[in-house]
Amino acid sequence: MNGNDLLAALPAAALSETCLRRLDQLTIRLIEHAARHTPPALSQRLQEEWLADLAARAGRVSRLRLAAGCWWAANVIARQYGVSGLAAVGSNKAVAYAPPQASGFLSPRTVALVLIACLHLALIYFLSIGMANRTAKVPPQPLQSVFSNEDVHRALPPPPPLPPKFAHPLIDPIEPDIRIEVSAQTQGLQNVPVDRSQQPNTSTTPPKVDRVIGGPGKGFPNTTDYYPDASRRLGEKGVASVQVCVDAIGRLTSDPAITHSSGNARLDAGALTLAKAGSGHYRPTIEDGRAVGSCFPFRIRFEFRD
Amino acid sequence: MGRRDRDVRISLQTLRVLDAFLENPADELAGADVHKRSGLASGTLYPILLRLESAGWFISRWESVDPSSAGRPRRRLYRLTARGLAQAAEVFASFGRGVPA
Repeated sequence: MNGNDLLAALPAAALSETCLRRLDQLTIRLIEHAARHTPPALSQRLQEEWLADLAARAGRVSRLRLAAGCWWAANVIARQYGVSGLAAVGSNKAVAYAPPQASGFLSPRTVALVLIACLHLALIYFLSIGMANRTAKVPPQPLQSVFSNEDVHRALPPPPPLPPKFAHPLIDPIEPDIRIEVSAQTQGLQNVPVDRSQQPNTSTTPPKVDRVIGGPGKGFPNTTDYYPDASRRLGEKGVASVQVCVDAIGRLTSDPAITHSSGNARLDAGALTLAKAGSGHYRPTIEDGRAVGSCFPFRIRFEFRD
Repeated sequence: MGRRDRDVRISLQTLRVLDAFLENPADELAGADVHKRSGLASGTLYPILLRLESAGWFISRWESVDPSSAGRPRRRLYRLTARGLAQAAEVFASFGRGVPA
């Protein structure tokens, strides 16, 4: 859709005859105004020339564009020739050319280039000193959950029916009819006194075992990698104790368990995840110089390090 | 190329204006005609026409019609001078293109 179609599509009320006439007057006045801003020697000629070209244009939008272009051309011509009228020529004479004069030490183009360069340098400087990094480190506001009370008065569904209770069958225990006959030789043996002093001493204390409790070993995951994201954002920190059971080569034999909570469910979950991820990297318990499977607790500390 | 010719800045828009005249170098064209042939906006076109006229590449005159009888204002007609044609031929030759004799 070109400009003329656009004008035709506008409401008729908005494009009444008066409005169109005013638009034409505005176009002519714009050209006259533009011509007045050219050097005096050219002003009359350009006004007549532009108005003649305006009459040759078809369509109001095209004429309006011509008028706007003439306004721009007047500025260019005034800058080329100087408003003071360096070209002292008549409307029918050739116009002497005067190249544009640089006004001052720096031309506008040079000033613009210098300003752009300064802006880039300032941007690079602020990025290098970490302004953007500091901006990103502003701690966010803690998340707030709002619980709606809309469903409070909603009728609860009926509970499911209870499973039928089955009565256990009554079973009468049957007395086994077993008779043990003890021979007279055996009865004699029952009365033989036992000499306790001849028996080996089994109540002595067990021998002392050289035992080194295991723990997180070489290659155990870093705590920072398992710091829960939400806790990191909210600045939560704490220490959780985890009980693990590992075999002789440092692998978990059962799921780890929290023995002492950090006071934060997210940190406890992170501690369990870390303890599971460390399977195979535990240092087993050493008993008498030999690795054995065992269970032991250890602490996981979640804290920020600057 | 004289001093005034050196002052003529040969831009792409200047080439389009010259090209519009070189279709038939004997033609006299008004600004509206050059606009149709070159497609340049008036804000660009008129300063170029004035600049080339100042350099002596163009000559212009008022159309010899009576505005009252013609029902329209008289137009300003531009035409390539012999010098302008030679300069235009030189410019286009530098781009590897000839001009009509």
